[in-house]
Amino acid sequence: MSQGMSVSSERQGEKKALTASKVGMFWRQYSKNRAAVAGLFLLAAICVIAIAAPVITWYPPLKSAVGNPFVPPTANHPFGTDDLGRDIYSNVVYGARTSLVVGLLAAGISALTGIFVGATSGYYGGKIDDLLMRISEIFLVLPTFLLALIIVAVFGTNINNIIVAIAVVSWPRTARLLRAEFLTFKEREFVEAARVLGSRHIDIMLSEILPNAIFPVIVNASLEVATAILTEAGLSFLGAGDPNVPSWGLMLNNAQSYLRVAWWMAAFPGAMLLLTCLSLNLVGDGLNDYFNPRLKER
Amino acid sequence: MASIFRLVTRRIMQAIPLIFIVITINFVIVHTAPGDPTYILLGEAATKEFVEAMRARFGLDKPLYMQYLLYVSRVVQGDLGYSILRAQSVSSLIMERLPATLLLIFSAMCISILVGIFLGVTASRKPYSLRDNFATGIALFGVSTPTFWLGQMLLIALAIYAGLFPVTGLKTLRIELMGLDYVLDVLHHLALPAITLAAFHLAFITRLTRASMLEVLGQDFIVTARAKGLDDRAVTYGHGLRNALLPVTTYAGLSIGLLFAGAIMTESVFAWPGMGTLLYDSLRLRDYPVLLGIFIFVSVMVVVSNLVVDILYGFLDPRIRSD
Repeated sequence: MSQGMSVSSERQGEKKALTASKVGMFWRQYSKNRAAVAGLFLLAAICVIAIAAPVITWYPPLKSAVGNPFVPPTANHPFGTDDLGRDIYSNVVYGARTSLVVGLLAAGISALTGIFVGATSGYYGGKIDDLLMRISEIFLVLPTFLLALIIVAVFGTNINNIIVAIAVVSWPRTARLLRAEFLTFKEREFVEAARVLGSRHIDIMLSEILPNAIFPVIVNASLEVATAILTEAGLSFLGAGDPNVPSWGLMLNNAQSYLRVAWWMAAFPGAMLLLTCLSLNLVGDGLNDYFNPRLKER
Repeated sequence: MASIFRLVTRRIMQAIPLIFIVITINFVIVHTAPGDPTYILLGEAATKEFVEAMRARFGLDKPLYMQYLLYVSRVVQGDLGYSILRAQSVSSLIMERLPATLLLIFSAMCISILVGIFLGVTASRKPYSLRDNFATGIALFGVSTPTFWLGQMLLIALAIYAGLFPVTGLKTLRIELMGLDYVLDVLHHLALPAITLAAFHLAFITRLTRASMLEVLGQDFIVTARAKGLDDRAVTYGHGLRNALLPVTTYAGLSIGLLFAGAIMTESVFAWPGMGTLLYDSLRLRDYPVLLGIFIFVSVMVVVSNLVVDILYGFLDPRIRSD
C-alpha cells in the first residue's frame, strides 16, 4: 500500500491492457479449433433461449390442458403436447433454465469444494493430504450416481437436494487435479521466493500458486457442468426429480409411458439435452487444446 | 511369486475398509434423513404396529453406536434388509435380478471395447483425415447423448416403427423356446439395450484409444520399428496398440460402476428384468430397504472388480508389483 494513487491507477490501466491482449490471444488460439467455436455459439444460443424463455413462448410451462392431449407438432404447438395437454415447446424452453442453473450451481459448488480440498491437500501434504485423498478415493471408486439417487430419494426430491447431491459426489475429480498441480508448483522458485519474503500460507496458496494451477480445473469445470446436467436429467428420468420445475429428464420420464403414441414427447427434450451436453463438451475440448497445446501438435 | 502374494494381500486390506465405509454411509443417510429412520429401514408401507415390533428387533431403541454395530454385523452376514412391499428379503430380490443385469453389462462391455478400440485405432492411423473425423464425431456424440434418451429413440425408430426388434423384456413370453431358438430370442431382445448401454463407453474408449495411440506412435521405439522396415500394420497393431492398451484396460476396469448406473437407465427404458428395473420400481414405491440394499451390493461389486483388475495388473505389468 506504499505506492501513490497515480502509480496504482497506472498499474491498473496496464493490467486492463494486459487482460485485453490476453483475451485476444486466447481467442486467436481458441478459434483455430472450429468445432470448439461452434460449441461456444451453440452454448450461447442455449443461454439466450433460457434467458428469453418468457418472450419466446406463449404458454406457461407445467400448466396442463393448454391444448388437447397428444397433439403432434403443429404451428401452435411446435413440439406437440403431452398426455395432460401441456405444451412441450414451453417446457423444453423453460427446461433450459433448470438444466443450466443446476449445471452451473452443482459444478460451481463442486469446483469450490474441490479447489479447497485440492489446495489444502497439495500445499500442506502429510497427514491432512493422506486423509483428504483417501476420502476422495472413496468417491472415485463408489457408484456415485447411485449414491446421489439415494440421497435425493431419502432427503426429498427437490431441486436444492439434487444440486447438493450432485456436488457431493463430484468434487473429488477437481480436488485431485488441483492437488497434482499444487504438488509441482509448490517447489518452484517463485513460491520459494514468496515464502522467504514472509508471505502467509493463505496468500501463497491463493495468489501465487492458484492462478498458475487453475487451468486444468477450468477445463474440467466445463465437463463437470455437462456431467451435472446429465446427472440431473438421469435422476429426474428415474423419478427422483423435482416435480415442480420444468425439467428435460422429467419430461423423458413422462414420455416413457407413451413412446408408442407420442414420439415427440421424448424426441425434443432429449435433443435439447444432447445439444447442451455436446456444446459443453466441444467447449471443454477447445479449452483443453488451448491450455495443453502440446497434445494437439502430436 | 512372493511379490504377487504381497500385492494381493495389500489390495485386499485396502478393499475391506472401503466396504465398511459404504455401510457407514448408508447408516449415516438413514439416520440423518428427515423423519423416523424406522420408516427408511422398512419403507413407507410399514404400519405403526409393525414399526413398533420391528423397532425392538432392529435394536432401534438402543443407543446409536449399538445400532451401528448391529447394522454392520447384519450387513456383513449378507442381510441387506427386508422389503415389506414385496414380502421378500432384499438380498433374494437382488439375486433374482442379478443374472439379467450381468448379461446386459457384459454384452455392452464387449461391444464397447471391441468397437471402441477398432474406431480409436482407425482414427489414429491418419489423424485429421476423413476417417478420423468420422470416428471422433461418433465419439463426441456418444459421450454427449444421455443413455436413456438414446434407448428411447432406438426403441421408437427400430422397434416400434420399423418393427425390427422386440419392444421390451428379455424373452418372448407365452412361447416356450428351447436350445438355440431360446438363445437367439434372448439375443434379439438384448440387441437394443446392449447397444444403448454400450454407446457412451464405446465413445469414451474410442477417444481414449485414439489419444493413447497418438502418444505411443510418436515414441522412439515406433520410429525404430518403422526404420527396421516393418509394414504399417505390424507397427500399428504389434507395437502401437499393445502399448496403447494400458489406459484402455484401466478404464474398462474402472467403468463397472458407471455401467451399473447406465444399466439402471437402460433397463428402465426397455423393461429389462434386471436390478435396474428393480431399483426404478423401488424408487417409485419409496421402498427404501431395496434402494439401500442395491447401493451396498453394487458398491461391493465395484470394489471387488477393481480389486480383481488391480491384481490382474500385477500379473500383466511387473512394474506395478514393486510400487
